[in-house]
Amino acid sequence: MLAYHRPTTTEEALALLPNATGTVSLYAGGTDLLPRWTRGIVPWAQTVVDLKRVHELRGVARDNGEICIGACTAMSDIESNATIREHAPVLAEAAARIACSQIRSRGTIGGNLCNASPAADTAVPLILLDATLELARLENDKVERRTVPIVEFFKGPGSTALASAEILTHIRVASRPSTWLAKWDKFGTRPSMEIAVASVGLALDLSNAKVQDVRIGYGSVAPTPLRGRAAEEVLKAKPLTEESMNQAVDAAKAEISPISDVRASESYRRQLVGVMLRRMLERARNS
Amino acid sequence: MQETLETVPFSCVVNGEPVTLAVSPRATLLDALRDKLELTGSKYGCGEGECGACTVLLNGKPVNACLVLALECSGTDILTIEGLRENGNLHPLQQAFVDHGAIQCGFCSPGMIMAAYALLESNPTPTKQQIERSLEGNLCRCTGYRKIVDAVQSLADGVTSHA
Repeated sequence: MLAYHRPTTTEEALALLPNATGTVSLYAGGTDLLPRWTRGIVPWAQTVVDLKRVHELRGVARDNGEICIGACTAMSDIESNATIREHAPVLAEAAARIACSQIRSRGTIGGNLCNASPAADTAVPLILLDATLELARLENDKVERRTVPIVEFFKGPGSTALASAEILTHIRVASRPSTWLAKWDKFGTRPSMEIAVASVGLALDLSNAKVQDVRIGYGSVAPTPLRGRAAEEVLKAKPLTEESMNQAVDAAKAEISPISDVRASESYRRQLVGVMLRRMLERARNS
Repeated sequence: MQETLETVPFSCVVNGEPVTLAVSPRATLLDALRDKLELTGSKYGCGEGECGACTVLLNGKPVNACLVLALECSGTDILTIEGLRENGNLHPLQQAFVDHGAIQCGFCSPGMIMAAYALLESNPTPTKQQIERSLEGNLCRCTGYRKIVDAVQSLADGVTSHA
């Protein structure tokens, strides 16, 4: 690394990107990037643009019924934020299960998403919440912003919809009715410091004994975090029955595409997703 | 071609003392603490945030000093295991580790103590479960976890705040 920059505005950060020396890296919590550099897994970026002091990228705000989360908000702040705990508790619960307190103090929600790991712990909760991501770039020296639905943000392992000189600035989620219950769970061999073998999220509005609205998401079982549209479809607009739950489990196992790796085999992951979804549906029905 | 890395100066507060350091842009906070300030209580274990042996408090929050660039710490307040000492005496939390035999080889102890200190600062009366959770990022390869949790729990009625 030759140059370390610490801009305080998004405009300043964006202006650094086209003129930087050599390879450039946007840097937030550093909990993934820094050990890759120090351990020689990837070469150091020659220019590091640290985004943590960009004021608008930090903190959580209410905005027209939406919750607006700055991309550089640390996981420990997501976990403890009163607005998120009240209006999007599934996100707070997922943040609280990432790694350990030391990592959560530094790691940011934007970093978790921009790393684009299929196992990113905040991705599936944000899919349940229909999050939209706000991206900023410079055009003719002016900050231009666009929004991308979360399911369109992930393109593959380590790959996102971000253009080369673009920054993820905010994550927006809408408040939900109180009948809307969302749960997310990950499976691993230990409760902490664990990269999910598989994760499943389920959000349901079960008012009047019928599935009024449903969102399903999966992590670590496809090239990207995945929305479970096929499993959602078989549950929609009917009561939760043995039959519909079985169909949803079958649909879930069919729409994922897990791989075998050091943490688990493809067939184990497929089985696991079925079991996890089944248990979540049963719990929802019995609650 | 080898990059020439010029050192960059920055200032922060370490254990209550303002310090100005000149470090390579690639230096981690742990490098700066150990090699520049000779504060070798914080240990290098894994270098990737798995073991917690380098845990220090950065602006009051527990962090792995190996996962923070030194330059990121400009203007911050850092507390290391060396800063817990009060008037030449061990901090009550350090004393509790001694009294409970919560130290075997001692390599994980500074990190364990700093992680537990962070917990007790934010929650002076944690449950056993909360203590265990606060230490989830700290490995003890002598596997002495039970005595470590006991030591922290003995202080759970309120640790004297560090001035």
